[in-house]
Amino acid sequence: MFTLTLKGLRARKVRLFLTAISILLGVAFVSGTLVLTDTVKAAFDQLYAGLTQGTDVTVRATSAFSATSTLQAGKPLPASLVDTVRQVDGVAAAEGSLTGYALMLDKSGKPIQPGGAPTLGAGHTTDPELAGGFTLRSGRAPQAPGEVVVDAATARKYSYQPGDTINIIFESGGQRRFTVVGIAGFGKADNLAGATLATFEMTTAQQLLNMTGQYRQIDVRGKADVTPAELRSRIAHVLPAGLEAVTSAAVANEASKSIQSALSMFTKIFLGFAAVSLLVGSFIIWNTFSILVAQRGREHALLRAIGAGRRQILGSVLTEAVVVGLVASVLGLALGLGVAAGLRGLLGAVGMELPSTALQLHARTVLAAFAVGVLVTLVAALAPAWRATRIPPIAALREAAAPVRDAATWRLIIGGLLLACGVAGLTRAISADSQTAAAALGTLATFVGVLMLAPVAVRPLVRVLGAPISRSVTGGLGRLNAARSPRRTASTATALVIGLALVVAVTVVASSIKASVGDVLDRASRADLILKADSQFAAGVPAGVADKLRTLPEAGTVSEMRWGMAQIGAATTPVAALDPATVDQVANLGIASGSVGALGTDGILLSADVAKAKGLTVGSPLTVRFAQTGDHQLHVIGTFTDTTLIGTPYVVSLGTYDANFSDRLDIAVLVKAKPGVSTAHIKRLAATALAEYPNVAISDANDLKDTQRKSVDQLLGMVYVMLLLAVVIALLGVVNTLALSVLERTRELGLLRAVGMTRRQVRSAVRWEAVLIAAVGAVLGLILGLAFGAAFSRALASLGIVTVDVPIAQPLLCAVIAALAGVVAAIAPARRAAKVDILRAVVAE
Amino acid sequence: MSVLQSPSEARTVAARVVGATKLYGRGDSAVRALDDVSFEFPAGAFTAIMGPSGSGKSTLLHCLAGLDTLTSGQVCIGDTDVAKLSDGELTLLRRNRLGFIFQTYNLVPTLTAQENIVLPLRLGGRNADPEWLAQVVAAVGLADRLGHRPAELSGGQQQRVAAARALVTRPEIVFADEPTGALDSRSSGELLRFLRHAVDEYGQTIVMVTHDPVAASYADRVLFLRDGRVVSQMTEPTADRILDAMKGLGE
Ligand SMILES: Nc1ncnc2c1ncn2[C@@H]1O[C@H](COP(=O)(O)OP(=O)(O)O)[C@@H](O)[C@H]1O
Ligand SMILES: [Mg+2]
Repeated sequence: MFTLTLKGLRARKVRLFLTAISILLGVAFVSGTLVLTDTVKAAFDQLYAGLTQGTDVTVRATSAFSATSTLQAGKPLPASLVDTVRQVDGVAAAEGSLTGYALMLDKSGKPIQPGGAPTLGAGHTTDPELAGGFTLRSGRAPQAPGEVVVDAATARKYSYQPGDTINIIFESGGQRRFTVVGIAGFGKADNLAGATLATFEMTTAQQLLNMTGQYRQIDVRGKADVTPAELRSRIAHVLPAGLEAVTSAAVANEASKSIQSALSMFTKIFLGFAAVSLLVGSFIIWNTFSILVAQRGREHALLRAIGAGRRQILGSVLTEAVVVGLVASVLGLALGLGVAAGLRGLLGAVGMELPSTALQLHARTVLAAFAVGVLVTLVAALAPAWRATRIPPIAALREAAAPVRDAATWRLIIGGLLLACGVAGLTRAISADSQTAAAALGTLATFVGVLMLAPVAVRPLVRVLGAPISRSVTGGLGRLNAARSPRRTASTATALVIGLALVVAVTVVASSIKASVGDVLDRASRADLILKADSQFAAGVPAGVADKLRTLPEAGTVSEMRWGMAQIGAATTPVAALDPATVDQVANLGIASGSVGALGTDGILLSADVAKAKGLTVGSPLTVRFAQTGDHQLHVIGTFTDTTLIGTPYVVSLGTYDANFSDRLDIAVLVKAKPGVSTAHIKRLAATALAEYPNVAISDANDLKDTQRKSVDQLLGMVYVMLLLAVVIALLGVVNTLALSVLERTRELGLLRAVGMTRRQVRSAVRWEAVLIAAVGAVLGLILGLAFGAAFSRALASLGIVTVDVPIAQPLLCAVIAALAGVVAAIAPARRAAKVDILRAVVAE
Repeated sequence: MSVLQSPSEARTVAARVVGATKLYGRGDSAVRALDDVSFEFPAGAFTAIMGPSGSGKSTLLHCLAGLDTLTSGQVCIGDTDVAKLSDGELTLLRRNRLGFIFQTYNLVPTLTAQENIVLPLRLGGRNADPEWLAQVVAAVGLADRLGHRPAELSGGQQQRVAAARALVTRPEIVFADEPTGALDSRSSGELLRFLRHAVDEYGQTIVMVTHDPVAASYADRVLFLRDGRVVSQMTEPTADRILDAMKGLGE
């Protein structure tokens, strides 16, 4: 039995491969994502291991929770502490270090802003061993206030050499000019995880980074006879409260963890796309095996008649599934390495440059690839395999054509019920705001309902869609063939439905977001100008920007906003800070109760939704944990409804911020011009005044709307690329189904050719069949996608989608293209059909 | 011979093979399916090809109909040398000038009887002449079955649909390969009477392969093959005479 199966497989290599492809892409995505994650992690681990080399213990301020941003790491500690630490028994060397915000400019004055990594300034460590992997590649260490050492990656990319002058922007005081005296690298790497780094002589660094007389941490190396753990506990004894000593191993471990959590979002997104393509692929597997089992009905019946057991039939079909799964896994894994390289490039393209190391292929990835490939194939083939065992031996003696079974009644009833529930859920989600649960459940129920009813819907759909082409003889034949096996057509089309529904839904949501951007901004902002960092990856703009703007007589109100991470309840969440005195002139927060003016230094403003969810009212106490300063009990001074400008439900005063965060970077600066000063005028004035801050983007309301719409489009483009994969897999499914159908109809095709059908007509008929199958998928996908998209747009009202915009043209275009792609899917099967040997077909066997 | 034929169509030869030889395989193991066969198929007549199994009947028919090519020799349909035609031209020849009835699997299962009958016309973008169609349909006795699909028709009915299809384009020749091979004697009789009727009434030329002496007795002339060669001919055949002749061939 087993050898029979394998022999059969060998004879059907092409079919096997085509079937495997549908799962292969999903496997490639899964393994690619895992490879990428491992690779990135390995790269960072190497980097941190190198960096902490030579340092045994680090002294730093305790952090109430681990904040993700490097700039908000820890409270500064007094410089005098270094001497205390040096006196601890077993310490060989101890040196303070500090980092802060420093943005270098390239030779043309443009900011050097890496994607996703900070722009750091630091004091130059003098002890070479404590400096770890950080070593001078050329030049010398900075010794005078006007000197700087630049990281090798920046030096290479922007061609800086010792002797060049470089301008650098700090949190306060605008641009300063330095002479590059040296270039430094980090072990083999040219920079630290993508960050730019400028190091200064230590005292200069303290001044530039607003940390005079302070360090961020103290790096300690022990004598040979002390273990790092022992040294750590000895140092811990002499530290005042609020400070801690940690071993380098622990530091490296923390860093590695935080990198992983930063990557986890990407991992999830990519795995999500993998899941979509696997889902689509599994439909194709299911369909292919259903067809194969139907075609081999006689063969199976014959085997049963000569004594094969049900179990053996089941085994033979499942063996084939396993082989398909194995082929898909092996090829998918290989492709996955390519995908990983591609994704790395993609991340680089959007600005997330990752340190490079060889691609990491771990056993877990291999295991996952095989598990996914084989399991998905096996599960998808289970139902068809089961059906194969139901064939009675007597079928071997009957006429070949398997009877077309009508859809089971239970299927119709359950499908109908699900569809009804789904439509009810979607209707509810579309008719009221923020019905997330209704939207999600409605989508799921509708989808499953449609899947179950699809075989029934195929005949009428094909009849209607095919009406325009039924006058031509090939169109008519194509139409008949598309409706010939409704189940086959339905499951082939289903794969396309999934892909297209997602594409269309995403388009609708994106379109709603774009339509909302304008409204949201007009409602929330009263400012004439909004200034932000011109890179989305920058931590903010230096506080100096707002100071400079205040010197303009035409600027009536200048109000800044900051952002920092805090822990409230169990969640780590951003908290916004603003100036209670001026915020009302530049923004409309939609105050529902209380007043912003009352923020003071211990007040907090909550969004009405969050206040309601937490059961808080004006006057209620709320404990907020800041990384640098620990727990603070604030009290609720009011609630507001419009979070769109602020982007977080928690607001404190700038005073509270300054007391709990050490950086002075503004996420946005809002400017309201004096009465009578035009927006264009104040924009020009601001541009002139901020000439030394090339990293600041000055936008009026229209600019900002444009930028936001553009970023939506950019995101949409990326999502499209991923979803396109699902659509391509679905089209491969059409190829597969057609190829099998053509094979099944060899005699019929021969007959048609004998009575005068030209090859061109044969091809045309197959093409029309493909187009109709694809069109069924496209129409269902379009309708579902529009409904899902509208429901989710409405459900996500809280994210600032105030207008639900259901575009017609673009989704319709997608659907038409998908249907026409059927032509491409038909190429190979049509060619094969046209080549049918007439004689072989008409001569009775 | 019908007096209704116009002068231009008043050919006496509908198809001709000259020195037709067909080899399957190569070298020593080659099978000589046709061995230097020359014959003229008279127009407006019903010719049956008989012979033992494996004597080359089907091969001859397929080569005549342009479904297969000769190894050497010539096949002409009317004045057309079949060997000189491209695949596209051959298709048009089959569609417009020839009709076919195969032993089994004659009909497209998705099409109704009526659609199957007019299929060759539709493939050429033509519509059926309603009068002619009605006449053919009435003659095969299928007027009340036109809306049925093949699966809903008996074997005999299916073969009659195929016969109607073969006639609907008014082809120069209808080729039939064992059209009654899978039918019971009653259905066979109906079909053969219809073919005879087409020859007598419309002057249709028919070439039919069969190994059934009764079927062959409906023909005007019988051609006997053995081992790929023409061994004898018979005019005004009867079933008994054919049976005797076949015995002489070693069947
Ligand atoms: N496709 C083929 N390949 C090889 N030999 C063939 C093929 N078709 C027919 N033959 C051989 O040619 C001879 C004539 O076959 P055929 O014309 O089918 O005979 P008939 O129809 O009289 O039974 C037989 O010996 C047969 O085995
Ligand atoms: Mg034969």
